[in-house]
Amino acid sequence: MQLTSRWFRIFAVGFAFTSASLAHDRSAHAQVAEFNTTHTVYYEAPARTHMFVYSPAADLKVTPIEALDVRAGWEADVVSGASVAVKAGPAYAATHPGSGPDVITTASVHDFRNVAHGGFTLRHDVVALDADYSYSTEHDYKSHTVSVGARTDLFEHNTQLAISYARNFDFVCNRTQSPTALPSQYTALENSDGCFTGGATASRLTDQIAIDGFQASWSQSLTPTFAMQFVYTGQITNGFQSDPYRSVIIGEGLKAQEHVPDNRTRNAFAVRGNLFLKPLKAALRVGVRAYDDTWDIKSGTVDAEFEKYFGERFRAVARARFYKQSGALFWSDDYSGGNAPLGPKGQYFSGDRELSPFESILVGLGATYAVTPSKGRILGLLTNFKISLNGDVIQFIYNDYTLAGSEVSGSRALMASLSMTLVF
Amino acid sequence: MRAFLWTPTLNSSFFRNGLFLAALAIACTSCVTVRPQERAVLADPTMQFEGDKQASTPILHAIENREGSYGGSGVSGGGCGCN
Repeated sequence: MQLTSRWFRIFAVGFAFTSASLAHDRSAHAQVAEFNTTHTVYYEAPARTHMFVYSPAADLKVTPIEALDVRAGWEADVVSGASVAVKAGPAYAATHPGSGPDVITTASVHDFRNVAHGGFTLRHDVVALDADYSYSTEHDYKSHTVSVGARTDLFEHNTQLAISYARNFDFVCNRTQSPTALPSQYTALENSDGCFTGGATASRLTDQIAIDGFQASWSQSLTPTFAMQFVYTGQITNGFQSDPYRSVIIGEGLKAQEHVPDNRTRNAFAVRGNLFLKPLKAALRVGVRAYDDTWDIKSGTVDAEFEKYFGERFRAVARARFYKQSGALFWSDDYSGGNAPLGPKGQYFSGDRELSPFESILVGLGATYAVTPSKGRILGLLTNFKISLNGDVIQFIYNDYTLAGSEVSGSRALMASLSMTLVF
Repeated sequence: MRAFLWTPTLNSSFFRNGLFLAALAIACTSCVTVRPQERAVLADPTMQFEGDKQASTPILHAIENREGSYGGSGVSGGGCGCN
């Protein structure tokens, strides 16, 4: 909380200074500052667990001269809920009659993630260069991200090519294990007490994660109302990628901290098409995405959005998304035994439902009210004002993940967000 | 438990197919020119590939925390020459 207050003060002073500077010389620039704020709530309550997340965010972008954008922002996740702390499967539950789902234990989760970020864009003719930095911190995780990007327009602006690279330097708190222990004997972290206190303590250490991300995209105008985009994303992750709090029952009387490979390479390729339907005053946005990684997760995504104008200022959007993935090579719903596909899968074990085969379906609605006066300013101050309200439901359908043989019912997430944009 | 009915096939053909699609698109679009005065619609907020960023960012944040895959989301811009 102390940290947040400090960031808030820094942000408020920066915002006030920038606004005052720009107000002093507003006549020199057509658009000088853009302020965005978004507030999101996320709630889910599948069997045995629940999660509530409130995420406020605020961003400020200033254009002091035509060729330069400077931006800064803050966002947070205020998390409370309960998650699975010990995962067992159906075979273990079957050999321990009477224990049923009770072999699954949950632990309460309370965290506060803060992210501060800043960056700039330099523009010259048809070329733009971006550079950004962000720092995020929570009780048990810290992350520094540096990213750079470049984009250019070609062929009379009909083609836009962009590339970007990001590097994460992440740190995760973990429990100190006995130097002679095997991963199958590791004990999970019980809480975040003592994390990042400076210097190794008897029971806590800091593991590192390095993430290299690369993205290339090509956007193409095909007609005055139709454009396409091709996106490739690659990412290489090296370091501790398990949930340090989660244990998995891997044998009779044997419970161990989740253990997944240190290396993971991920590839995603997406194609998008945007079509404006003039008679309807509406845009149809459609995308497909294919993904695979070296943990053998393969997935496909199809999404579509239909956004229609009602008058000049009001528009409404409906969206739908279908996602399906296979499980990781080492995924098993029960590592302690049972018939295939249950049973041990080599040296790795995980109780993470995100590594199991599943599907998800998202549907959502949104409404936006935006005002851009053709001359003059709103209240003598704003050149643009926008407010949006969005609501989404995500249904997760787990094909193989159970809590000691019991299917996870109620795997439905509800999301709502309210955002506002002010352009000075 | 439900059977896993479908899995997209992704291996080295993943990249070959992507390259082929890109080459095909280049071939199809090399002669296409949308004149500057025709780009008003492409510059509309509803025609941006990342959609409404303030609406899409929270959704992306949520699904990246709930799904095993990552990447391939829309990149800003809409081929409108709004660079």
